[in-house]
Amino acid sequence: MFYRTAGQFKTSYEADHALFPVRQDAILLGVILIFAFVIFPFTASEFAFRALLIPVLIYSLAALGLNILTGYAGQLSLGTGAFMGVGAYACYKLVSIFPEMNIVVAIALSGFFSAAIGVLFGLPSLRIKGFYLAIATLAAQFFLVWLFQKWAWLYNYNASGAIQVPNIDLFGITVAGPRATAMAQYYFVLCVVCAITFFAINITRGRIGRMWKAVRDMDIAAELVGINLMRTKLMAFFVSSYVVGIAGALFVFLWRGAAEANLFDIPLSFRVLFIAIIGGLGSILGNFLGAILIVALPVIISSVPGAFGIPVDSAMVEHLNIMIIGALIIAFLIIEPHGLARFWAMIREKFILWPFPH
Amino acid sequence: MNPRPDPNELTAPDDGIARGGVLLDVKNVSLSFGGVKAITDISLNVLKGEIRAIIGPNGAGKTSMLNVINGFYTPQEGTIIFRGKERRSMKPHQAVGQGIARTFQNVALFKGMSTLDNIMAGRSVRMKRNIGWQMLWHGPALREEIEHREKVEEIIDFLEIQHIRRTPVGKLPYGLQKRVELGRALAMEPTLLLLDEPMAGMNLEEKEDMSRFIIDVNQQRGTTIALIEHDMGVVMDLSDRVVVLDYGKKIADGPPDEVKNNQNVIDAYLGVPH
Ligand SMILES: Nc1ncnc2c1ncn2[C@@H]1O[C@H](COP(=O)(O)OP(=O)(O)O)[C@@H](O)[C@H]1O
Ligand SMILES: [Mg+2]
Repeated sequence: MFYRTAGQFKTSYEADHALFPVRQDAILLGVILIFAFVIFPFTASEFAFRALLIPVLIYSLAALGLNILTGYAGQLSLGTGAFMGVGAYACYKLVSIFPEMNIVVAIALSGFFSAAIGVLFGLPSLRIKGFYLAIATLAAQFFLVWLFQKWAWLYNYNASGAIQVPNIDLFGITVAGPRATAMAQYYFVLCVVCAITFFAINITRGRIGRMWKAVRDMDIAAELVGINLMRTKLMAFFVSSYVVGIAGALFVFLWRGAAEANLFDIPLSFRVLFIAIIGGLGSILGNFLGAILIVALPVIISSVPGAFGIPVDSAMVEHLNIMIIGALIIAFLIIEPHGLARFWAMIREKFILWPFPH
Repeated sequence: MNPRPDPNELTAPDDGIARGGVLLDVKNVSLSFGGVKAITDISLNVLKGEIRAIIGPNGAGKTSMLNVINGFYTPQEGTIIFRGKERRSMKPHQAVGQGIARTFQNVALFKGMSTLDNIMAGRSVRMKRNIGWQMLWHGPALREEIEHREKVEEIIDFLEIQHIRRTPVGKLPYGLQKRVELGRALAMEPTLLLLDEPMAGMNLEEKEDMSRFIIDVNQQRGTTIALIEHDMGVVMDLSDRVVVLDYGKKIADGPPDEVKNNQNVIDAYLGVPH
């Protein structure tokens, strides 16, 4: 009933290449966007913005970046956190050196720094694969975080060793720094995430996406259909690290407000990797589903039992959170490697057939 | 979705070599892996427009020969002249640029991708729109995508695989996978198509279909084909000329009837020790 594809015949390849060949998908997205742009902002509390909405968006973006590399191009990375750090520090230096620079421009440029570093650390992928490549990216992770600590120029020689986001205006509205309102920051992040998601969908469904997937599925055959492995892999590292870097800049400038080097350490890399795995490798939608789950889980654990009068202290929340995520990762790796996105695809399929299964 | 394509539109581009002229000339090629001699001093040629079969017992060096031709292996000795250009070594993607496409003995498809995407991937090198246009999708990138989609749909119609267009190829039965792999190679619009055991593991009906596709590709598109095949009946029916390898050496070369009655060939297939 909801998903009726009958009567929606495609009369041209153009229609077949539309973003939503099935009209109900477009309607559903429209509803989600109305919630995101109108309903949430007018109903959400300060807490909901800071603890749920903004982090969900930023983590989705980071996972999207990682998913381009790992899910689409098949190159495992354990250094996502450090690449987010490169984006954040680059943005910090840009706004320090050029205080007049528009924040959108600064964030867009900072992605190029992480992209360049990503390509550099992606070079080993030309020779090594799988586990060994993962170790190489782990080396990048350690090296970069060490650099964030030791290279005082990066944090403007602050005694604390931390970077502190100044107040930054965009069109007369403060979007970053202590004066910024949660709602302004939410809208900013939402717009950036929507734009990049749109671009990512287009790249992954066209020629470049097919080349990435070809390299992922069988690199020898990819080479023998004329795909240049080196260029294709490095392009994946570039695009992925660009998106990850943008996510890192947003992470600090539009959410945390301040950061120390160890914020970008391995736990962050793993959190983003878990989101991508739970959401579904090789899916765009999955990043959002995964981020919602990972960000909301601790909030649910700490608030739901409380509502029933069962007290849970914060250490308990932490432990439960880790245990549940661990169990979920194992479950997904064993049962459904394509993650939550596949569950949605199955539900959607049911709706299309409903009420006449087969 | 698409009317059956006019075969006249599908002919391969002219490269100045007349039908029957030498398209590929392999001269005195030797290839070894450590101590194992896979190919010993083999010379053979492929004429434009023909179907050339390479046969021989297991381990004879047939697959290695294809790997040499499309640049996957570099022979220790010998030269290869393709379309009049001589070379000792080149990268596989350069072979593609020169018009060589191939299929594999063990299907080498992109398992997670649909039939359509697999065949579209065969056109990657012909698509030029850069990432900036791809990001926007609408406009030039979409026009290019549709232009190539039309070519791919012609191949899908030709191979009669419309019903599996959206199916991930990993879920297809082996016979259909072989067909999709042929489709991907055809999408590259090769001058020379190399097929490594295209009918291995197929039943009789599937073999007949595949034979028909191979003949149609050769006749309608004018594509030159070099194929490895074990089924002697199929080889004799399909090919214009046959070369026989055994233990990495060439033991016979000529029209099917001649080769069939060659004593060396009979011995090799019967396993007479030598
Ligand atoms: N990559 C390789 N490394 C080592 N030996 C190989 C390799 N490829 C082929 N060979 C050897 O070369 C010989 C010919 O193999 P191949 O060309 O696959 O034979 P065919 O396709 O005729 O069955 C065999 O002895 C095989 O073991
Ligand atoms: Mg073989």
